[in-house]
Amino acid sequence: MMKTNPIYDERLKKVQACINHENEHVVGCYMGQAVPPTYSDISLAKYMSDTEVGLKYYIEFVNRINTIAPVDCINFAYPGAHQAALSLIWWSKVKMPGEELGENDIWQVDEKKLIQDGDYELIIKEGSAAVMNRILPQIIDMKKIEQFFEYHAKDEMIAQQYIDAGYPVLNSGLICPPFETLCGGRSMTAFFMDCYKKPDLIKEAQNVMLEEQLKMIATRPDRDYVIGEWIGGWRGASGLVSPKIWDNLVWPYMYKLALALIERGITPILHLDQNWDRDLERFLELPENKCIINTDGMTDLRKARKVLGNHVAFMGDVPSQMLTVSTPDEVKDYIRRLLDDIGVKGVILAAGCDAPTGSKFENLVAIHEVAQEY
Amino acid sequence: MAKISELLANLEMDELMESVQLDLDNGRDPVEILKECEAGMVKVGEMFSAGDYFVSDLMMSGEMFKEVGIMLEPHLSGKTGDVLGKVVLGTVEGDIHDIGKDLVYVMLKSGGFDVIDVGVDAKPEVFVDALKESGAPILALSCLLTTAYDSISNTVKAVEEAGFRDKVKIIIGGGPTDESVVRYTGADAVGDDAQSAVRLCKEML
Repeated sequence: MMKTNPIYDERLKKVQACINHENEHVVGCYMGQAVPPTYSDISLAKYMSDTEVGLKYYIEFVNRINTIAPVDCINFAYPGAHQAALSLIWWSKVKMPGEELGENDIWQVDEKKLIQDGDYELIIKEGSAAVMNRILPQIIDMKKIEQFFEYHAKDEMIAQQYIDAGYPVLNSGLICPPFETLCGGRSMTAFFMDCYKKPDLIKEAQNVMLEEQLKMIATRPDRDYVIGEWIGGWRGASGLVSPKIWDNLVWPYMYKLALALIERGITPILHLDQNWDRDLERFLELPENKCIINTDGMTDLRKARKVLGNHVAFMGDVPSQMLTVSTPDEVKDYIRRLLDDIGVKGVILAAGCDAPTGSKFENLVAIHEVAQEY
Repeated sequence: MAKISELLANLEMDELMESVQLDLDNGRDPVEILKECEAGMVKVGEMFSAGDYFVSDLMMSGEMFKEVGIMLEPHLSGKTGDVLGKVVLGTVEGDIHDIGKDLVYVMLKSGGFDVIDVGVDAKPEVFVDALKESGAPILALSCLLTTAYDSISNTVKAVEEAGFRDKVKIIIGGGPTDESVVRYTGADAVGDDAQSAVRLCKEML
């Protein structure tokens, strides 16, 4: 059982009220996994590789914003063992600062065609591990996978540190729909071509992967600090794939994964990069007041409000380019216009997707200052 | 619309390949076949702009266009039809993403442009050298990272310092780009997607 405190409890209550659309004010949420080193005496490489030190810097950075304007919650926590996490869900090589990249260069996915012809059949026959276990040693030092599991064995202790600091962390895990994993491992162009040429084969492989994920979600132990978990959606965005692909290979999987999390009392946080306008109506299929959609500025939240009403909570959506090149007044103006149009019910204000390393500090603060006004 | 154009516009890969092979076997001028493919790509672009097609459809059509190009190449012997103009294209320094750039490459090629692709993580001098060698009047810079904005700025400055900024229009594109990034970097315009890159390049000639 986690030991909470009055500030944390109050903020958690505020977040939960927001998800239920019972809130009177917006929630201000910090999202910027890689930003702290930009404003601290630590390189991004050190911050990423030394998880104990990195976590400390992360919380200190959020505290700095919190002293100026309250941070009600955090979307994603410190990205400990991030390379392994991304490799496991996306089956692509992730180039890291201080390794393949410069000390302060943001990590980048170097996508290659690692899923070979015959691998969809292999997944269907033997399960996804048969392919993943062959790909992983090609993209990451396997010691880092071991370190990833060692790091996450301490999740409860880490969660306690955020609670002690007074911040509910909304996302406590990554669930990657099979479409995204296969897209990462096959590379986008080749995978999209496969979706046209052999959709039935992909669907069969995805069904196997989905069953594995549903079993994992249903059988893992309860963790009382978990509020929500991320269900990723970026290559499956409505703006990227045709309706035929989306209806067949994207949505059914996101939907079933979301239901499985809800079944375990976990809020699905659908991380929607790019534009999802075309298919917003489908989110009405999800249970009411149980999910958050986390958009990045490309999905039209005004349209989303009209289509979805108060069915799901909204998280976002200050665009990354705005955080980098605009002024705090411009950021505030963007948010005020948005909130004046869509209202505050079920709205969690945050950087869209993830604040980039070059975000201006005052722009990050601006999000929380405007949150206080509403 | 000609059959080949229609097959490409309808994303019918196998039927397109069969049809092209049949035309070649019957001794048809490969330049005519290429032009019909280009017309099909124009139709795909129009459907994308109208919201009837999506990025995956652009990619599929691009792959089909490339496949046809491979089939036609031995028969073209240097004949490529009309070229609208030259464009130097690449992803800027510090950014290794190539998917958006490659899509723009195919759309520009099928739109009648001669495209000089300098690859990813390209330093400003690489773009400058390519502009010097080709005499291209358009430079298209791609990025997926906000941290690459300064690389765009540096590339724009390098073009200025090389003395031909007034002869070269610079367009940018990629996930985190918009008008504010155009102002920040000193570029001339932003393309929201691969199809608008083609439109912009045509306008800038």
